[in-house]
Amino acid sequence: MMKRTLFTTYIFIILFSACNPSNDTKPQNQYDEDVLSSIVANTDSLKTFDFVLPKVDEIKKAMALPTPILLCGDSLTVQQKLAQQIAIVDVNFTKYVRNVKNNDAYRNEIFAVLPARESDLSSTKGIVNIVDCYKVEMYNYTLNLTSIGIVNIKENKIIAVSTQEQTQPEIPLYLKNIAIKIAINSPEVQQAYGIKPTEKDALMASTKTALNRTRCERSRHLCVAPTFTKDGKALWAIVDLTEYKLVGVRWTNTGTTGPVKPITERRLQDDKITACFCEKETPLDKDGWKMNYMLTSSDGLRIAQVSFNGKPILQSAKLVDWHVSYSGTDGFGYSDAVGCPYFSQAAVIAFEPPKILQIKNDAGSFVGFALEQVFKSELWPSPCNYNYRQRYEFYKDGSFRVAAASIGRGCGNDGTYRPVFRIAFADEQNNFAEWNGANWTAWQNEKWQLQSSNTAYTPQGYQYQFTNNNGTGFFMQPGNGRFSDKGRGDNAYVYVTQNKTTVEEGEADLITIGPCCNTDYQQGPEKFIDSTPDNIQNKKLVLWYVAQLKNDDSKGREYCWAESVLENGIYITKSYPCFAGPMFVPIK
Amino acid sequence: MNIKLKILKPVCNLPTAICQLLFALCLLPTVLFSCKDEIVDFQTNECKNQPAFFKGIGFDPNRTAYSTSENRKMGLHLIQFNATGDTSNGGKKLYQHPSWKMAGWLGPILIDPQGNCFVGPVPVINLLDNPPAKQNTIYKVDGNTGEMKMFMELPSTEIISSTNPYGILGFTYLCESNTLYVSTVHGSTRDKELGFIYAIDAATGKIIDKISNVDALGMGISYITGKRKLYFGSARTSDIFSVSLSKDGKFYSHPSLEFSISDIGPRGDDKARRIKFDKASGNMQVFAIEFNYNLTAPTEKQENIYAFAWNSSIQKWEYNK
Repeated sequence: MMKRTLFTTYIFIILFSACNPSNDTKPQNQYDEDVLSSIVANTDSLKTFDFVLPKVDEIKKAMALPTPILLCGDSLTVQQKLAQQIAIVDVNFTKYVRNVKNNDAYRNEIFAVLPARESDLSSTKGIVNIVDCYKVEMYNYTLNLTSIGIVNIKENKIIAVSTQEQTQPEIPLYLKNIAIKIAINSPEVQQAYGIKPTEKDALMASTKTALNRTRCERSRHLCVAPTFTKDGKALWAIVDLTEYKLVGVRWTNTGTTGPVKPITERRLQDDKITACFCEKETPLDKDGWKMNYMLTSSDGLRIAQVSFNGKPILQSAKLVDWHVSYSGTDGFGYSDAVGCPYFSQAAVIAFEPPKILQIKNDAGSFVGFALEQVFKSELWPSPCNYNYRQRYEFYKDGSFRVAAASIGRGCGNDGTYRPVFRIAFADEQNNFAEWNGANWTAWQNEKWQLQSSNTAYTPQGYQYQFTNNNGTGFFMQPGNGRFSDKGRGDNAYVYVTQNKTTVEEGEADLITIGPCCNTDYQQGPEKFIDSTPDNIQNKKLVLWYVAQLKNDDSKGREYCWAESVLENGIYITKSYPCFAGPMFVPIK
Repeated sequence: MNIKLKILKPVCNLPTAICQLLFALCLLPTVLFSCKDEIVDFQTNECKNQPAFFKGIGFDPNRTAYSTSENRKMGLHLIQFNATGDTSNGGKKLYQHPSWKMAGWLGPILIDPQGNCFVGPVPVINLLDNPPAKQNTIYKVDGNTGEMKMFMELPSTEIISSTNPYGILGFTYLCESNTLYVSTVHGSTRDKELGFIYAIDAATGKIIDKISNVDALGMGISYITGKRKLYFGSARTSDIFSVSLSKDGKFYSHPSLEFSISDIGPRGDDKARRIKFDKASGNMQVFAIEFNYNLTAPTEKQENIYAFAWNSSIQKWEYNK
């Protein structure tokens, strides 16, 4: 099989900014149009805006200071400046500006210096002249933490300090202006609004403020929502001020009977994913391939009715389970299902839309496309949180691959991930054979086999073949380190079962079919092989494929792993995926 | 929420015809004032008793509690805290009766005046040990023997939702009438709120009343407003509702919205998992979590406790920041 340069060369990302309106399986009016038309911004985008660059420079300079605090960007009086200076040299007020373990600088910024109020002094002792006191509010972007200091400028000292975790102070005017600028310059906002809105459009007459309250519950970043009104509706643009990017946009009715429920990061994502991808199929027609895809309750991203140049290829394919076992503790692990974020049996959920990515070969030519879906725990990559990526690749020559990756991080460095794929072929009469080193040997009955170091492959790397009664079909190449995805081999269990029309054996959504920690063939698919195995010659067939991937956290050899690193004062993730899954190549 | 209540029932022991007549008169605005809810003045609704079998297995009842949330341990457990109450470094004694794994992973716990313990199944991470068809079953641990047995199966829809893994989510108990209240979301889907709150005779397992089309999570009972009220948190929203109860434990009013915990706390969309009332002050404590009808299992403790006090002058619950 030709070496495909898959992961280094895909370049285009096609975003699903709206549900595909054609071929819907349910009438559109069952869904809220505002949800359907909402846009979840592409999180892989490295899009930045020139106007934030000076701000980023200021942050970098502040981070290099002995006390890494960016001072308040709003204009301050002499007294306010004095209060700020007193606060930033106070040991208690600056307790969280650095990592106590390694002294790395966190990203801190003074948001406000305000005249103190009586209520601010409730915890102070002694008699205090309130006109001498100021409240200094500092936000720690790294820890999502607010520190408040009450400063007596006459006595030149802080008289009270408090900190609140997972809390964000009111943002200053200059950050409001940046948020509005990000919103009006974002193509997603312009697309939704119809034209490029102006800063004036962001002002809401009803509230005299340009910003609605919102939250980024998942990223735990500082987020605000510049809101643009038009024709009695409000367009919420959620802006992430930790990374200076747009999170997404959604219209709402402005409401006349009470406050409108805020649009937040999680609500925007979950509503969009649920309405557009969990409750209906989406058709895809590209490069000769046609299919429908949708997110399931517990079997990941399912593709169905897959054809190539009009010829049916797959009835369906999906990712049934992830079994994760840890060798350090006997019987310890998890059996995770992946799927929809709301009303699902999934332990690890999708909160970004599926993506379509172009695939280029080494010569730079487009050779196909990939359909990819990410499933994440909200706190990934912190320990015992998971990130799984499901990926289908379709090539112009009729080849295809069903793949998935773990991106850690899990509960330890001694973990083995076992993804369970179910691939149902479309042909009514199929035969299955294995390469024995010299010839193709047909399997007579349902059975399973383990890929090992002794496994024989054809010179092209094929281990199995599916053929129909016309002699056409596919060679199957398991993950054996030959794909350009840094895979180290799948060590896979392969099971072939008859696809019976009269018995439900996994075509519908499957609940978890196997426990976490079996280390042998008993991963779940064996349940569909009877004690007297069915004959599989000239039968409609299902291939079950269970890869076994050992994680690794050793430096330079990380695999199925992820870690957080501090960069410019905020945590970013370094990920080391371990991809697995078979490639199918047409027999010509 | 679309609430369907069977019929409003007056509290009286008069012959049925008279009762019906009075009830009809109640519907007339002009005489409404003369047919107010029963006024009750009980201070608390506390009546649980320690199970007798605790002592038999060498556990000190004063330091022992049931748990369904021991890390990586399925089923019900008995934990005895050490003398200082410190549970760190394994500073607690654990016990599990052989029958306590029969229902898989468990959630709500309730102890009745006889020391019997009711538990409900709640899946964790996957459904391997909690098949969907069994999620509407109440189990009971006998206070004398410690043995767990199935108490009753709640009515279920024939078609189990393949998307909603949950069933029973909450328990509470009315001491006056020995009524067990159970909330279940079994069979609910994203589009249809099909849950129930059942009022069950705890001695016989007979369902004496129900509220339909409501997905409720945590529940609690209080008299502080002068009425006997069951409070419950919606499983779909951050709203807290109340419904009046008659002294025989039946539902006496339509559920009404009391307040919302929306926009409170670090997430802003918490749901009330448990509702508890302080014995001394009558203040309400709402133990709130993230809940989205899926099986995600956050690694850090998600529960937040929000306190509310009853302001009798304005007849409202007020958030104690």
